[in-house]
Amino acid sequence: MKRTLLFLLVAGTLAPAWAQHEHHAAAPAGAGAPATESRRPPADRAWTQQPLLLPGRNPRGERAQALLQPRGITAETVTVFAAEGPAERRKVAYPVSPEGVKIAPATPQIGNYHWVVAREETPGAVKVASTAWYFGNPGDSPKELLKAPKHELEIVPDPLPREHGRYRESEKWRFLVRFNGQPLASQPLTLETEFGSRNSFVTDAAGFATVLFPRDFKPAKEDGEHAGHGRRYGKFVLSAEKDADGKRYLTAFNLSYGEDGDRNRSLGWGAAFGLIGMLAATPLLRRRNGAQGESKNA
Amino acid sequence: MLKSLFPTLGRFRLVVQLVMLFVTVYGSVFVGTYMADKISNNLPALSCAYDQMNGGYCVLIPTQHIIHHRIGEGIVRAQQLTFGMVLPLLMSFVAFFAFFFVIGKMFCGWVCPLGTLQEIVGKIGRRFGIGLHRVEATDLGDVKRVRPVKWLILLGLVFLLPLTTGLGVTPHSMGNPFCDICPSRVATTLLTGNTEQLALRVNDNVSFGLGAIANLLIGFMIVGGLAIRQPFCRICPLLAFNAVFQRLSPMRLAKPTRANCGTCHICTDACPMDIPEISREEGRKAYHEDCTLCGRCAEYCPQDGIIKLKWGPFALFASSREYYKNRVKGELPDGTVKPLKFVRNAAKPASGTADA
Repeated sequence: MKRTLLFLLVAGTLAPAWAQHEHHAAAPAGAGAPATESRRPPADRAWTQQPLLLPGRNPRGERAQALLQPRGITAETVTVFAAEGPAERRKVAYPVSPEGVKIAPATPQIGNYHWVVAREETPGAVKVASTAWYFGNPGDSPKELLKAPKHELEIVPDPLPREHGRYRESEKWRFLVRFNGQPLASQPLTLETEFGSRNSFVTDAAGFATVLFPRDFKPAKEDGEHAGHGRRYGKFVLSAEKDADGKRYLTAFNLSYGEDGDRNRSLGWGAAFGLIGMLAATPLLRRRNGAQGESKNA
Repeated sequence: MLKSLFPTLGRFRLVVQLVMLFVTVYGSVFVGTYMADKISNNLPALSCAYDQMNGGYCVLIPTQHIIHHRIGEGIVRAQQLTFGMVLPLLMSFVAFFAFFFVIGKMFCGWVCPLGTLQEIVGKIGRRFGIGLHRVEATDLGDVKRVRPVKWLILLGLVFLLPLTTGLGVTPHSMGNPFCDICPSRVATTLLTGNTEQLALRVNDNVSFGLGAIANLLIGFMIVGGLAIRQPFCRICPLLAFNAVFQRLSPMRLAKPTRANCGTCHICTDACPMDIPEISREEGRKAYHEDCTLCGRCAEYCPQDGIIKLKWGPFALFASSREYYKNRVKGELPDGTVKPLKFVRNAAKPASGTADA
């Protein structure tokens, strides 16, 4: 009986391990790289016409400060909303300079997610770019921060990816679209990524849209092209437009998304090492005479 | 009412463990998604940040993270010594200790999800009549030889490598090496239906190697746990981390000097960590660094009041002969229980020892 169970265990673990391993081997990381690399948009080429707040360089690794660069929007200030801190620091406007806008958390000790908005208003239109910025210190949960209306037409993540998490290829995430604080049903929403994907979604009766992040990262270069922690990130923007009160409202939410967790990973190798660990332990399963219920147990 | 629900301390502990397994693996359903919502980011029990649904983080995560990103990088920049380096680590330890003070090393024996999973595997082993291997002299080697491993892992993988990574000496992929070899990361993420942590990174040799160790450990734990009690707990750096603070919590194992103790060794048989000191020693030495405060030694001590689980001056549970007599009816000290019927039938021609 024990041998039968052991055989089933080994066979059950081996089958998916081999299948995954061969699938991975059939699609080496470098395959097709030259053709796709030429299609990659240069860093300074606009991949979207939507307004953006893009992260700038932070060469000194400052934790209590960040540089953002507005793109496709003309705003004199950028407003940062915090989840906690003194009342006068919950909403702070920072001036935009030619090199961008330097933003800070409510206080240097308070971190976690802050909501950042740039707004441009002309007689017939309101344009908003929004993003979330994570300052690496403890701070309040952004639940209430996200719940509070901050401008007319809004795209609100529900939820934001938590710390140690992020949007990733092939994942579905919910977004709420609000107008003047009220959920907006049947509102079209457009997702664009820096790798050229463009998809549309529509909100349901409660104002939520479920957005599927496309699997559109190009294969990694063999020289180990990657960002921190060995992962690569790309930019995306979600946008929505609405006409109301004689004005055209355009809102955009941009952030980054990472490559699918399955990329550059092998479930086959993982299962194989797990199996080796199991096999290494199998001698322990041999029954020994007198091993159980020895004298003191009786 | 309570007595009928929890007839033994062991049953009560199992219920607590199962509740805590839910909290540490799926707890975000109740407490919320974000870090600020968590019960704590410095729990004295393994609770994995790679599990997107958990209710709190284990203290070893911020420890590695702070040493890597704050202390290592802070030394390089040689500035903001207090606010950038010492204070975050101190705050992390203070938050950890606020929890640890309450139930001390019970976090290992009552809360840790990996400890619970290993106990469940062990119970399955006993039900299937798989012989128990004791990690002690004359068996797999002296248990004392295993003990330094947890300290080496704590010093090397939780403190030293994150620091050298922050200093730029070792590669970035060695920034949180303990998390990378931690089998709890693989086990708890698998429990949420996520196979990503089981899969190995193939574009980085260091990550591949560390992940392979984690998978070897989880594989060994799944099968080895059928025959050895708590195999990973013996080398867990959180056990060592908690041991540093174990005398600072009012929760403890108490075994005062008694003339009629030290002969039967049943408490050591009952101990899932095979600690010989619990039967050989008394007083302070009996509460060993490997103790997880599971309370089995107190449950299986056949003498009245010899071994106690105490919080400060209060005895929460004390050994008694009457309790012992009832306890061994359901389960023997080493965890042996009546095997499943088909296992008993298959074993009958060979021997009847499992029915002891």
